[in-house]
Amino acid sequence: MLEKECIQQRGFRNVEREGQIVGFQFNIRLVHYRGLWLSQLRPATVTVDGETFSGDQITWTIRGTTYRQSEFARHGDVHWGLLDLATITVAKEGGLASGSHEIEIQFSYSSSYIPPVADTLMGAHPHRRTLILV
Amino acid sequence: MSNQTATAGKPKRGVSLFSYSGEFGVTMTLEDMFAEIHSIGARGVEILANAHIEHYPDPDGEWLEHWDRLIEKYDLVPAEYGHWVDSRLYPGRELTSQESYEMLLRDFKLANRLGFKVLRTKLGVIDDDLTPVRNWKEFIEMALPMAEKYDVRMCPEIHAPTALKSRMVEEYVEFIEKTGTKHFGLNIDFGVFQTKRLPESEWEPGAFHLPEFKPSSVEDMIPLLKYVYCCHAKFVRVNEQFEEETIPYEQIVRTLIDHQWDGYLLSEYEGPWKNKTGVAVEQVRRQHVMLKRILGE
Repeated sequence: MLEKECIQQRGFRNVEREGQIVGFQFNIRLVHYRGLWLSQLRPATVTVDGETFSGDQITWTIRGTTYRQSEFARHGDVHWGLLDLATITVAKEGGLASGSHEIEIQFSYSSSYIPPVADTLMGAHPHRRTLILV
Repeated sequence: MSNQTATAGKPKRGVSLFSYSGEFGVTMTLEDMFAEIHSIGARGVEILANAHIEHYPDPDGEWLEHWDRLIEKYDLVPAEYGHWVDSRLYPGRELTSQESYEMLLRDFKLANRLGFKVLRTKLGVIDDDLTPVRNWKEFIEMALPMAEKYDVRMCPEIHAPTALKSRMVEEYVEFIEKTGTKHFGLNIDFGVFQTKRLPESEWEPGAFHLPEFKPSSVEDMIPLLKYVYCCHAKFVRVNEQFEEETIPYEQIVRTLIDHQWDGYLLSEYEGPWKNKTGVAVEQVRRQHVMLKRILGE
């Protein structure tokens, strides 16, 4: 089972590449009643302890494949299901220190059955959670 | 069978897994939801394809076997397969008729494999009145031969604020009559009959509300029933006396019984705090106490 919140505690860690800490990552679940195609997703912003990241500072990994946010629009055939965690990786030299961190993620998605004026309103509210990095 | 439901000639009870959206994956698995439906004596199940089929649209053999096993174990009937033609799939343009057709066909095959004969086909809309995309007739007509081949019926859902007496419904009916198809029909969502609203204070903060709309009268459903393959038994609250407070259920269900409509009533809980653990399960149970009583089960 997944954690009820969008932002999951399990999986929160720093990311190392070639001996250097180059960022951090955490998992999110889709808190919605149906899955989404990647092309319906709009890029996320992530705020950690007041510092905001966006665009290609953030990648999403879904079922083993990593996507840049700028590629979302062309992936109408990649599905993010309700039981699939998406791993959000944020580029930040040195990563995060051991301890508590206030994490916020905000993204939206298109819903074709909603009037076009409200296309991306549903689900657009930010998700926040305090995570502990060990 | 201890969980006998409605006899022929009467509406049958079922549940849309939509009701348990706040539980799925966090407090309930697919099997838990099936067990819950079985335990309230309902037999029909509606799934939302892109929610409940693991690794949609390409479930593996293991999952398909799991599905077959659960349907048998809990004695459920695949009653309705919810799917979408997401017309705004790509930013800045609408899907072509060919793309929409291919999306439909993919779901026909899956629905057929899982045992569904009725589909709740959600079309993209172009305005605040929920008018469907301009090319809907073209791609639905393209898909009719395949719907016949895969033995499925596409049913757009007539959902508030749309009224049963409306240009949109007339157009759907004209399409059915003109083509003579048995593979396109309607799903009536009982929210169209909603006459009361709960006070704002009853709802969770940030809850979504439809704009004010004029409810359809229950009689407006009668001439449409021959085209209705499934209904969404939408509800907002069933109180401790087992009465729905906002939708005239007694009158709706009696009308269906009087006209020997024998499709599935699929519970769709859309009331306050629907994603709070436990709320939807209790509300669906209360609704089925009410439905059982009205159906005389």
